[in-house]
Amino acid sequence: MPNMREIRERISSIQQILKITNAMYLMSSSKLKKARKSLEATEPYFYKLQSTIESVLEHTPHTRQLFFDRRTDIPEEKRKKGYIVITADKGLCGSYNHNIMKYTEQELAKAPSPENCYLFVMGQVGRMHFQNSIRKGNAAALDAEFLYTTQNPTLYRAMEIAELVLKKFSEHKLDEVYLIYTNMINSNVQENKTVQLLPFSRRHFGKAADGTMKKLPKASFVPSPEKVMEYLIPQYAKGIIYGAMVEAFCCEQQSRMTAMDAATNSAKDMIKDLSLLYNRARQAAITQEITEVCGGAASLQE
Amino acid sequence: MAKTFHLEIIATDRVFYQGECEHLVITAIDGLLGILAGHEPLVTCLPTGELKYMVDGKWKYAAISEGFIQVMPDSSIILADSCELPEEIDIKRAEEARQRAEEKLRQKQSIREYYQTQAALNRAMNRLKISQKHFK
Repeated sequence: MPNMREIRERISSIQQILKITNAMYLMSSSKLKKARKSLEATEPYFYKLQSTIESVLEHTPHTRQLFFDRRTDIPEEKRKKGYIVITADKGLCGSYNHNIMKYTEQELAKAPSPENCYLFVMGQVGRMHFQNSIRKGNAAALDAEFLYTTQNPTLYRAMEIAELVLKKFSEHKLDEVYLIYTNMINSNVQENKTVQLLPFSRRHFGKAADGTMKKLPKASFVPSPEKVMEYLIPQYAKGIIYGAMVEAFCCEQQSRMTAMDAATNSAKDMIKDLSLLYNRARQAAITQEITEVCGGAASLQE
Repeated sequence: MAKTFHLEIIATDRVFYQGECEHLVITAIDGLLGILAGHEPLVTCLPTGELKYMVDGKWKYAAISEGFIQVMPDSSIILADSCELPEEIDIKRAEEARQRAEEKLRQKQSIREYYQTQAALNRAMNRLKISQKHFK
């Protein structure tokens, strides 16, 4: 029979943890509400942007635009691939971080030459993870100066990131850029997703979720297709990155909420089991004492 | 009643306007552009500027920052970073942003920073201008 004091200490420590997880649950649920709201506000833009760009591109005359350049002269194993990975800033959110990092590693494994992969990791947890894996000899390079948080996504942050990758692309420091983030299908199902950001190709525009695809007869571009594209592509990159950031942040809060809810529940279960054990131990102790007293009294009488 | 076309103005944080419109005037990168129903298909970019559209014979104004427009004969879509009505503009905030940007412009900056500050200044000035013009 375990010691009563031990059990009591254990129960009180679990209660402390329960308080923490419960507080985190409440916090993440209020944050989730906010994130959901901003996700709902951004979604129309995000989808419209994709469908509009798609229909615009269908009518774009073939331009020798920098961001369309597929650089087919560079062989597959020498292509420099950049990956923007969106992870969380903090742990304790179930398998959210684990999933996205594992997925990223799988993506990296697909690349023919890991030394030409460059990681741009948003969020503290992902950055720490990849720093460690580089130290262990994983060959992908991590951009150490790419320090962005994933908390409360802003358009400004998305713009900075978009500018950075577009600049690297135009300087030939990167030949392909991918964006890896967690997509929210519904509140229980999340999915990791890769989007090719650069070079811009016509085929990677999947159908937008709302399915609005309006056929545009031949459109004119004012002042010129090149000028419009020069302006449109950074705009598009910014929009996509922002949308992904909002989506990922919402997923993070969702998984944290679920994880904390589960933790609170199992803490409650543990307390229940332990208090049963405690009561039993106490009862046993009392019974034993009574037996002892009775035994003592009986021996005195004799 | 004039012929109308469907207009959608979508900002990153909300759907600003969705509905019929008779006449739309935008500031494109090379000047003002008026759009009526049946306009030829067109794609162009919108810098930070003013936008006005006519609904039921009344002009409505808005401050818009960076986006693009896709025009089709029977509909138009504007996608922009932000879009606000004159009465929604926070003058104090815009004024602060303007001062901050001006302060920054006086300091030494990299070219990239310089452009960013300039764009921020542009946005602030545009907001102030539009709210002063249409909302007193």
